[in-house]
Amino acid sequence: MRRLALPLAVAALLALGALVLLEAIRPAAPPTAADQALQIAAELRCPDCFGLSVAESQTAAAAAIRQQIVDLIAAGRTPAQVRAYFVARYGEWILLLPSSPLAWWLPPAALLVGAGLLAWWLRRGRSAAPPPDQATPSDDLRGRIRDEVEQLDA
Amino acid sequence: MATPASRGTIVRWLVVPIVVVPLAWLLFTGLGRDPRNIPSPLVGHPLPVFAAGTLEGTHFVSAELRGRPAVVNVWASWCPPCVDEHPLLLDLAARHIDDLSVVGIVYQDTADGARGFLARYGNGGWPNVVDASGAIAVNLGVTGPPETFFIDADGIVRARHVGPLTRAVIAAELTALGIVP
Amino acid sequence: MIPTLGHLAVVVGLAATLYAAAAFVVGGRSRDPAVLASARRAIYVAFVLVAFACLAMVISLLTHDFSVLYVARNNATTTPPFYSVISLWAALEGSILFWTLLAAGWASLVLYRYRARLPALMPWVGATLALGSAFFFAVMAWPGDPFARVTPIGLEGNGPNALLQNHPFMGLHPPLLYLGYTGMAIPFAFGIAALITRRTDEEWLAVVRRWTLVPWIFLTMGIVAGAWWSYAVLGWGGYWAWDPVENAALLPWLTATAFIHSSMVAERRGTLRTWTHALVIATFVLTLVGTFLTRSGVVASVHSFTSSSIGAWFAVAILLALGAGLALLIWRLPELGDRRPPGAVVSRESAFLFNNVLFLGITFAVLFGTLYPIIVEATSGARASVGAPWFNRVNAPIFVALLFLTGVGPALPWGGASWTTVRERFAVPILAAVATVVAAWALGVRGPAPLGILGLAAFVLVVMGDEVVRGAQARSRSRGEVAPLAIWRLATRNRRRYGGYLAHVGICVMAVAIAVSATLGTDTTATLKPGQRLSIGAYTLTYQRLVTRQLPDDARVTETRAELTLAGPQSGALATALRDYPNSSTAIATPVVRSALGEDLYVTLLGYDSAKGTATLRVFVNPLVSWIWAGGAIVALGAIFAIWPDRRRVAVEAATAVAA
Repeated sequence: MRRLALPLAVAALLALGALVLLEAIRPAAPPTAADQALQIAAELRCPDCFGLSVAESQTAAAAAIRQQIVDLIAAGRTPAQVRAYFVARYGEWILLLPSSPLAWWLPPAALLVGAGLLAWWLRRGRSAAPPPDQATPSDDLRGRIRDEVEQLDA
Repeated sequence: MATPASRGTIVRWLVVPIVVVPLAWLLFTGLGRDPRNIPSPLVGHPLPVFAAGTLEGTHFVSAELRGRPAVVNVWASWCPPCVDEHPLLLDLAARHIDDLSVVGIVYQDTADGARGFLARYGNGGWPNVVDASGAIAVNLGVTGPPETFFIDADGIVRARHVGPLTRAVIAAELTALGIVP
Repeated sequence: MIPTLGHLAVVVGLAATLYAAAAFVVGGRSRDPAVLASARRAIYVAFVLVAFACLAMVISLLTHDFSVLYVARNNATTTPPFYSVISLWAALEGSILFWTLLAAGWASLVLYRYRARLPALMPWVGATLALGSAFFFAVMAWPGDPFARVTPIGLEGNGPNALLQNHPFMGLHPPLLYLGYTGMAIPFAFGIAALITRRTDEEWLAVVRRWTLVPWIFLTMGIVAGAWWSYAVLGWGGYWAWDPVENAALLPWLTATAFIHSSMVAERRGTLRTWTHALVIATFVLTLVGTFLTRSGVVASVHSFTSSSIGAWFAVAILLALGAGLALLIWRLPELGDRRPPGAVVSRESAFLFNNVLFLGITFAVLFGTLYPIIVEATSGARASVGAPWFNRVNAPIFVALLFLTGVGPALPWGGASWTTVRERFAVPILAAVATVVAAWALGVRGPAPLGILGLAAFVLVVMGDEVVRGAQARSRSRGEVAPLAIWRLATRNRRRYGGYLAHVGICVMAVAIAVSATLGTDTTATLKPGQRLSIGAYTLTYQRLVTRQLPDDARVTETRAELTLAGPQSGALATALRDYPNSSTAIATPVVRSALGEDLYVTLLGYDSAKGTATLRVFVNPLVSWIWAGGAIVALGAIFAIWPDRRRVAVEAATAVAA
């Protein structure tokens, strides 16, 4: 039974994952005009406040831009065209999501490089080191002794 | 002749300038910038077309501005800096009655509020387009009043000034439009 | 008179800190106890002087002495006493004065506590802390003089920044944050001292761990309180906007948290010295970067202060601290020598190290995003923005991975894990996670973010619960203690581990609350006439009337309140207002929040028409938001539990002090 516990758990996890995937790829209802407008507003910078999006802000300019988004969508513009409309008037500055691919690739790339370097170091260090039973006792043993001591309360 | 060990040391020490110098450059160029002054992408492009009723009861079409340089001023009665710059606009309109058009855009304001403002601080007689919803201002990429656009005779935006006008700004922009201030 | 004395105190304080720095260096080389004692006393004197300067500023604010420029700009005759006092830290120069008080206070505390211990390290710790304080005194002596005078003297001042005098929370979160920021100078000072004296040993690590955790607790509470302030004051219904001010506090918190984790591996294995030093240096430099960002005007932010030449001073300080720290580290690199990794690929050590990679990944992303507008403008001249949607998308997966590791770490044994251990420890937590997700689904929770985070949180909690149960069982078997006593003894005998678990419980609570509130909230906006209703969720709001009045405690402020009655949970009367401050062109919202354990009702007045009597309201139903603050409190409690002095350790310390 104990031997089967982990495979069972993993199987349950996989089943759940499959369900989620099915749910995710099932064609969703097309977004309504209001949803689209909200989505665009959430990604445009409010011009007369700091940092907030047009969707969140209460200022005069934000309200005017929200209305303009709704009007443009009602006039049949696609979300991309609506964004282009605002970029032509306010500049790239108005987009809260930077359009430069660098802004999207650099942070995950840095993370992957860091994780890769660490994994390489861990693997290389282990294979270069003498096998555990011949290793100097201090390192591993010290930690394990401390563990035991902690559990038993000195 | 550098030995491998000392070459390693030199490489290690190179880390300091590699980290510090670009950071220094970034911090000190960053110091000079003003995060609030955003250039308008409309500069060098035709003024977006707009048309609406005016405070004076007429209908205004932006195509009317063609043929001579124009100043488009976005303002509101609820905006304190607009009060400050208003005398300069009155003076500008009076002195360039023959070679310059002036148009006001009343931003997110009521007609009564705007008329009260003009009655109190002086009416220069130029048309004031009522933009109650702010749609015209958004079409011009306006952040908030006061904002002023300087347009040449071909309808191309030559400059945009954010914040209250000053004598120096007016003189410089008019000169750039080929008008003796 | 009083401002003149305040200025004098600043100048003398600068001299005292410079003397202390020099005396610490001289005393450290000659080992002359008299010189070192005089250096310590100079730091205490500097602390008393800056405390006096703060008092002088508070008196100037309370007496509305408009001959002082800072008072004229940030105070008015009608400002209530509470807001006059907290104006000490509400604007640029005053905040630097307050900052210096805290920096000198931390320095005095540490130098006093360790006056008889660590004789080799302390002179260099003292010199570093003294130089740090001297920098802030110098900023006040030259570009950021808080006592600068103005003539002619006005009869009325400008009043405090409207946003900052609108809520009593302004009295709470800046001091907490500043205590955290300034305290991070302590681990940095110990790091520099250890590199200079080549004493990066276990004792050093224990001291630095402790003195990183103390400011870390303040920084944690300051960040959470700041989010709460943002929620209660700014009126947009959210609590975290990735504003540069928020990022500035988050950056050193991230690297300090990474240090807290990797230092455990370092202590256990006697390795990772280079890495822990690098984190300590990075944390301190990032506190300076945060100060630079918010005090130089280079980025637009909710409360960045007006630009001034102070920015250049901070830029130089950043470069000096970073350059000196890096140079020292590289100089000592051959002696720090940690070439061999501390554990197997699947071990608790490596879980901690991957945790560090993730923390540093978030640090990089947040720093990059915050500086992105500057980088783009410096390289191409174009203007660009990076906003909350970018930060959320880039960081959310990393935070999820971190939460996962929070569960993996404690389940793996130190050194390395066998397949049997992995099977034994992970089966039940994974099943618990699956069961939680299914149960939440059955209860009506939808959406991948809340379901996924709920599952992960269950995984982490069950892993830790399993650990606690295992330990308690061992105790009660060997000692015959009843379960609650066994758990308490277990926890108090190993405060660091179980305090850490408690902090992780808080993190799980926050993670679930954030995921749920960010995805399952609803909101609506409506313009109502008196008597009209608005329904959202289980609530129905009826708009009664608009009331305009002067604030009783500050007559310059006009408040327009929309009075409402609420039917549904927490029914009753409530009012939400817009306040017009004479020195603010936009009205400041005063949202009303009805908090409950399940959800908050959050009502804010967007606008009104006095002629028609209509009010435009925005109403949010924010689920689980209270649990974010509760989770933050649990994190802080866990850390306090972890560093709580325990009797046995105090006895050991006393014994070693006597022996020395």
